[in-house]
Amino acid sequence: MSRYFFYNVILVSLLNLMLFVPYLLIQYRYKGAIMSMLCAAIVGTALALLFMHVMKTFPGKGLPEILRLFMPKPLTIPILIVCAVMWLTASSITMYAFSVLINRFFNPDTSSLVVLVFMCLVCMYAATRSTLTVIFVLEVGLIVCVPIIVFLLFKAFNSPMLDWDAIRTVSHYWNRGPQVKPFAASLFVFTGYMNFFMFNRLNSPNFRLRFRWGTPIFCSLILLTSFFIPIGFHGTEGAADYLYIWSVTSDTLIMSYGFIERVIFVFLLMYLMLSLIFAMIGWHMGMEMIKSCLPEKKEAIDPARTPRSNWVIVGLFAVLTVAYAYWFNEKENLKITSHWIVLRACVEIVSVLFVFVLSLFGSGKRKKLVSHENTSHNAASPDGA
Amino acid sequence: MKILRITLLALTALSFAATAGCGFRDIDKRFFVIAMGIDPADQGAKGYKITLRLAVPSPKVEPGAGNNQVVTMEATSIAEAVRLLKAHVDKEFDFGHCKLFAVGEKLARRDYTDILRWLTRRRDVQSIAYVAIGQPDAASILKVEPKSERYPGNTLFLMFGKDGTQSSYLVPVYLFDFIRRYREHGIDPVLPLIRADKDGYAITRLGVLNKSKLMETLTPGETETYSQIRNQDAKSTVAAVKNGNTMVINVDHIATHFKIANENGEYVLRLWLNVSGIFEEAPLGVYEEDWNQLEALFNQQIASEIKKLFKKMQQAAVDPFGFGLRYRATHPGTEQTWKDWQNLYPDLKFDIKVRVEIEGTGLVK
Repeated sequence: MSRYFFYNVILVSLLNLMLFVPYLLIQYRYKGAIMSMLCAAIVGTALALLFMHVMKTFPGKGLPEILRLFMPKPLTIPILIVCAVMWLTASSITMYAFSVLINRFFNPDTSSLVVLVFMCLVCMYAATRSTLTVIFVLEVGLIVCVPIIVFLLFKAFNSPMLDWDAIRTVSHYWNRGPQVKPFAASLFVFTGYMNFFMFNRLNSPNFRLRFRWGTPIFCSLILLTSFFIPIGFHGTEGAADYLYIWSVTSDTLIMSYGFIERVIFVFLLMYLMLSLIFAMIGWHMGMEMIKSCLPEKKEAIDPARTPRSNWVIVGLFAVLTVAYAYWFNEKENLKITSHWIVLRACVEIVSVLFVFVLSLFGSGKRKKLVSHENTSHNAASPDGA
Repeated sequence: MKILRITLLALTALSFAATAGCGFRDIDKRFFVIAMGIDPADQGAKGYKITLRLAVPSPKVEPGAGNNQVVTMEATSIAEAVRLLKAHVDKEFDFGHCKLFAVGEKLARRDYTDILRWLTRRRDVQSIAYVAIGQPDAASILKVEPKSERYPGNTLFLMFGKDGTQSSYLVPVYLFDFIRRYREHGIDPVLPLIRADKDGYAITRLGVLNKSKLMETLTPGETETYSQIRNQDAKSTVAAVKNGNTMVINVDHIATHFKIANENGEYVLRLWLNVSGIFEEAPLGVYEEDWNQLEALFNQQIASEIKKLFKKMQQAAVDPFGFGLRYRATHPGTEQTWKDWQNLYPDLKFDIKVRVEIEGTGLVK
């Protein structure tokens, strides 16, 4: 079902705010942010297209199964661990950033660590569910949140307080050469397809992705929005002062007749939901990848009972997240995030190119693939299951 | 498995206790600050005099039912003053509903930048709170108790917001807009001047600030012109004098745009102002007169007023209209662009084209 693909794309692109992408871009607004965004749009789209080819070559196969076709198991373990760590860190940074936001805006007297522990508990439960359940939760969550977020973005664009002169001023700096950090940060917006490293297990062999041209358009619009709207509301200079730039930007909107006058609370609630969903998916992916490194192989996508290994692995993730929040303060977190986002971009480019090369040799493995197909019963699509 | 589930459930249940216990404070144990006044400390001492207007909860919502409590404290920093004030009241302060930050005129004339250190950092300060300059000081504004107030602070909210009165002399300024203009290259902050008026407030003038202090105060007429040009305020009027008679047109539709053009090496600001509306006040018989001539009269008089206002701003070296930002927005993105503008603004020429369109003369000829 192509809609599950787009849910992932939408979720990840909307969630860029939680990973300091707009913050990093705005720091580089006079030093090549726009060119970096353009490069990221091209590279991100190209990678997505390459990966779609991979999905077509190996229907119903997650990353572990694809790797297993070409190499012995011990070789796949380091690759899977690196990927799992990438997803784990993305989720953990998001959760940490959000627990700080809750501490700032909702409940200043509760320690952000306490908030984080409870968020981790929720995500632990959600992430240990089966892959099929996870993707259904994603659908429900997005259907609730996205209309409201789109409405708020529409309000922002329509606001008379939005200063188009500031936006035009910054867009005059388009001719600066691209830089690594803003490029890597913008690339994150285009990475929603990467969740299909694992979710591809759900796809049926006759899976066809329609409207794939919509992905780059949507992601580019979101990227432009998350960069230019804060500049329009806080000016070319003022925008660079804020740490949680989008929370402050949402506070500049007013809904006089919307029950709550300050948009920021609606906005934060919506993003709380999205962040939890994102963390759920991230942990689930990490968990599945680590599980596929274990000797016993559980492949069912919707088992009746939750295996104990799920709890153990996700529990470990939760402990790591809380420990991270305990040891690093806000400033260190921001610094780590800005380095991590570059590392993540490298891993993305290398891993997608790697599986693409594998898929080129995939035809030779077709026989093995087909025989495998016949013996397993799990490659069902979510709607057919 | 079952044990794990029960443990999780128990933990979740415990979470409610945890959140209620240490973080949350009931509404009846909070003091809602509805306005805050910031003045310089008395007798030239270093620091600030902070005045807070607190809402006293009342079961009734009816005209005159709004009760307030006003508290004042002097300290070397705003944060310290607020902390000290906490020791004078029984409930926790909540700035989440603070809608007005009044800056004393003395402070604004000296240097206002230090107060932003508190306003921008504080998490519970709304970005959509209003900022104004209190005349003669902020404390006197906060001490006003309007008679018609239905609940505490209602008068101020109605005056600044769009729900109640809509005056073309009142230009509401949000805190985020003030901060943006303070930081921006190419536009300077403005703040409305608010003074106590018996049982209410009078807000008719606009103060124009540079990056550190109040430079100019506009007259009510100039304030209206500012509002028309910058905010395209349609709830306004335009006026002209003919043979000693003042004629006033109520604006129905207004549109302005400006651009900065280079003419033979000289920079000219071109402003177009298109206004249409019907007469609100004029001597009998304007119906019979040549409307084209009347319009020409309006055009000429309004254009000269606008030009005078622009010149005044230019001489005070402030740019509340954002001409500099427009210049940056239409020229190549380099450091040099901003430097160029700083050099050319003092010699900038103005070319103002006003086009008034009379739509009717009201009910009589």
